[in-house]
Amino acid sequence: MAGATQFPIPHRPSAGRRATAESPVAKFLLIGITLVFFSLFLLLPLLVVFQEAFSKGLGVFVKAFQDPYTQDAIRLTLLVAAITVPLNTIFGLAAAWSLTRFRFSGRAFIITLIDLPLWVSPVIGGLIYVLVFGSKGWFGSWLTDHNIRIIFAVPGIVLATVFVTFPFVARGLIPLMQAQGINEEEAALTLGANGWQIFWRVTVPKIKWGLLYGVILCNARAMGEFGAVSVVSGHIRGKTNTMPLHIEILYNEYHFAAAFAVASLLALLALVTLFLKTYSEWRAAEQLKQL
Amino acid sequence: MRRRSVLPGFGITLGYTLVYLTLIVLIPFSALMVRTSSGGWEHFWSTITAPRVAASYWVSFGISFLAALVNGFFGFIGAWVLVRYRFPGRRILDAMVDLPFALPTAVAGIALTALYAPNDWIGEFLKPMGIKVAFTRLGIFVALTFIGMPFVVRTVQPVIQGLSDDVEEAAACLGANRWQTFRRVVFPALLPSILTGITLAYGRAVGEFGSVVFIAGNLPFKTEITPLLIISKLEQYDYSGAAALGFVMLVVSFFVLLASNGLQAWDNKRKGIS
Amino acid sequence: MSIRIHHVTKRYARFPALDDVSVEIETGELLALLGPSGSGKTTLLRVIAGLEFPESQGSVLFQERDVTQLSAYKRKAGFVFQAYALFAHMNVFENIAFALRVLPRRKRPPEATIRARVVELLAAVQLEGLEKRLPTQLSGGQRQRVAFARALAIEPEVLLLDEPFGALDAKVRKDLRRWLKDFHKRIRLTTIFVTHDQDEAFEVADRVVIIDKGVIQQSGTPEEVRKNPANEFVREFLDL
Repeated sequence: MAGATQFPIPHRPSAGRRATAESPVAKFLLIGITLVFFSLFLLLPLLVVFQEAFSKGLGVFVKAFQDPYTQDAIRLTLLVAAITVPLNTIFGLAAAWSLTRFRFSGRAFIITLIDLPLWVSPVIGGLIYVLVFGSKGWFGSWLTDHNIRIIFAVPGIVLATVFVTFPFVARGLIPLMQAQGINEEEAALTLGANGWQIFWRVTVPKIKWGLLYGVILCNARAMGEFGAVSVVSGHIRGKTNTMPLHIEILYNEYHFAAAFAVASLLALLALVTLFLKTYSEWRAAEQLKQL
Repeated sequence: MRRRSVLPGFGITLGYTLVYLTLIVLIPFSALMVRTSSGGWEHFWSTITAPRVAASYWVSFGISFLAALVNGFFGFIGAWVLVRYRFPGRRILDAMVDLPFALPTAVAGIALTALYAPNDWIGEFLKPMGIKVAFTRLGIFVALTFIGMPFVVRTVQPVIQGLSDDVEEAAACLGANRWQTFRRVVFPALLPSILTGITLAYGRAVGEFGSVVFIAGNLPFKTEITPLLIISKLEQYDYSGAAALGFVMLVVSFFVLLASNGLQAWDNKRKGIS
Repeated sequence: MSIRIHHVTKRYARFPALDDVSVEIETGELLALLGPSGSGKTTLLRVIAGLEFPESQGSVLFQERDVTQLSAYKRKAGFVFQAYALFAHMNVFENIAFALRVLPRRKRPPEATIRARVVELLAAVQLEGLEKRLPTQLSGGQRQRVAFARALAIEPEVLLLDEPFGALDAKVRKDLRRWLKDFHKRIRLTTIFVTHDQDEAFEVADRVVIIDKGVIQQSGTPEEVRKNPANEFVREFLDL
C-alpha cells in the first residue's frame, strides 16, 4: 500500500437524522447484503479451520502436536519471529526517527522503499535472496566453498521474513510521529536531555501504542509468512519447515486433521492479533486526539 | 543531506536505516535486475511470452482484476453500513474485516479449499448445481476476493466518516430525494477512495501466493498463477527465467503504484489542495 | 408565506433543546432568532426546514398547511448553512443548478431554461462570470453568496439562514448584512436567520425573537425589545 497508514478515528455511526437517512427498506437490504457477503467470506473460513481441526476428535488434535516434526516447525517459527521482530522494530524506530524528526531530500524515496515489500509478491521476496545467495547466485560459489548455507537453511528463512515484514513497525510509527510533531523533544533538548534520554523519556511514552500496533502486525506476518519462505526454505522436515510450510506438507499428504490442527493455532494467533491490533489502534487514536 | 533540526541522532538513525535498506532491499533487487538482463534479450522475451506463462498472466492479472472489482462493490457497501448504521454485531464485524490481513495465507488457503471442495460445506451445496469451485478459476477468484476484502473497506471508511452532514442536508433542502443525493453528492465524493481501494486490492491479489495455491489445483494453462511459475523455474535452477518473470511482476506492481499515486493526485486536485 | 409554530418541543436524550415553543411569522417578514449558543435557535430553524422533527404534540404550518411530518426535500424551504455546505466537486454553475436538476422529470425545465435561471441568480447575488469556479477557488464572502443563490433556485417561499455571516471577517460581514437587508427589501421573501450577534439582529431584522435554553424570552421589533426588555435574561444578554 502506498503512503502511510492513517490511524482510523474510532468508528461511530453518524447520528442518523431522519431527513437524510435512507429508507428502512434500503437500510435493511444493505445491512443484509453486508452481513451475508462478509460472513460468507470471513466467518466461514475461520469456522472451517476449527471444525476440521477437531473433526476427528480431540485425541487426533492433540496427537498432531506430539509429532516431533510439528514441534520442530513450531520452534523454528518462534525462532524466526524472535529474530525478525526485534530487528525490524529497531529498524522501524530508526527509520521513523530519521524521517519524522529531520528534513532532508530523499525522504520520499526512502518512504517508497519502505513500502516496497507491501507492493510486491512475497514470492519475489524469496526470489531476490535466492538470486543473491542461491547456489547459482552471486555469492553462491563463495558460500559453497566456505560451507555456509543461507538458502535452504534458517538464515535464508530469516532474511526472507525480514524482507516481507520490515515495513510494519515503520508504517505504524511514521504517521503517528509525524502527527505528534517534535515540540516536546525540542523542549526536552532545551532542558538538557541527551539523545537517549529524549528518546526513552519523551518519545517512547508517546508512541507506545503505535509501536505495539506495528510490532503485533510484524509478528503476525512473520509467523504466518508462506510465499517468501516457501521459495528459500527447501522444505526440509525438521530443519527448515516453519509452521505454514509444515501445514502445507501435512495437507499434501492428506493428514487433513493434523494440518488443520496446526492451522488452528495460527488462526488463534490471528484472532489475538486482530484483538490487540484493534485495541492498540484505538489507544493510539485516543492519544492523538489529546493533541 | 543536511539535517535541519537540532535533535540528536540523525546520523546514527539515518545510517542504520540506509544500511538496512541497502542490504535487505537494494542489493537483492539489483541482483534481480542483473539476472533479468543477463540471459540476453532473446531468452528474456521467449520466457515471458511462453504459452504456459501467458496463460498464467490471464489467471494472475485477469482474475485479480475481477476480484478487485467485486471487492470494490461489496467493500463500498460494507464501509457505508459500518459507518452509518447501527446493528447488533457491528463492532465485531468491523474488527473482523481485517481478518484476511491477519490470517496466515496458508491457513486461508487450506480453509478456502476445504470450504469449497466438492464434498464439504459450500462445495457440497453447489455440486448439484454443477458449480465447481475448488481447483477451478472460480476458486482462484474466491481466494483473491477474500484476500482483497479489507483494502476497499478500510480505504473508504475514513472518507465516509469525514463526510459532513450539512452537504447532504443541503441537497435535501434543495429537493433531492435520498437516491439523488447519493448519486449526485455523496458518491462523487467517495469515488476516488473507492478506486484507490480497488487499486490496492488489485496490487495485493496479483502477487498473492499462499491463499491461492491450495484451491487452485495448479493445472498448467488453466489454474496456474505466475508466482507459482517463478517457483517452478527456481526449482529447475532456471534463475534467469525466474528473474524474468519476477521482473514482469515488478513492472505490474510498479504500474499499480503509479495508478494509486495518480488517483491520490487527482483527488487532491479536485479538492483544490496543491 | 406565513409560518406558524405551535407548541414545538424537541429533545436530545433527555435534554430539551426546544421547550413548548410557539412563534408566528408573517409573510414577507425578516425575522432574527437571537440567543447564546446552545439556546435552541438553530434547532428551531432546522425544525422549520424539515431537518428535525418535533415531539408528538408540536406542529409547524406553512400558510395554514400542516407540514410537521413532511421531510425537508418536500418542503421548499431554502436553507443556507453556516459552513455554506457547497458541493465541493461541482463548480458554481452546477451548485446553483442542482435544485433544478433534481426536479422530478415532468417538472424539470429544459437545459436552456436552467442556464438562464442560473445566470439570473448569479446576477442577483452579484457573482456574474464565476460559473466555472470551484468552491475552493472562492473567497468566504463569495461562497456565502453562492449558497444564497443555490437556495433561491428552488423558488422557496421561506428562506432560512443559519448564522450566515459567522465565518467571515468583520468588513465582509458588514457588507453582507447591508446586502441582505437590501435584498430582502427587493424580494420581500419571508426570511428567518439565526445569530448570536445582537448588533446583527438589531441592524437587519424587522422583528427579533430572543431565545434561551429552548424557551422564548421575548419577541418584538428591535425598538420594542430595547425599550422594554421582558426579563432579567434579556436585559443581561442585550447589555441594557
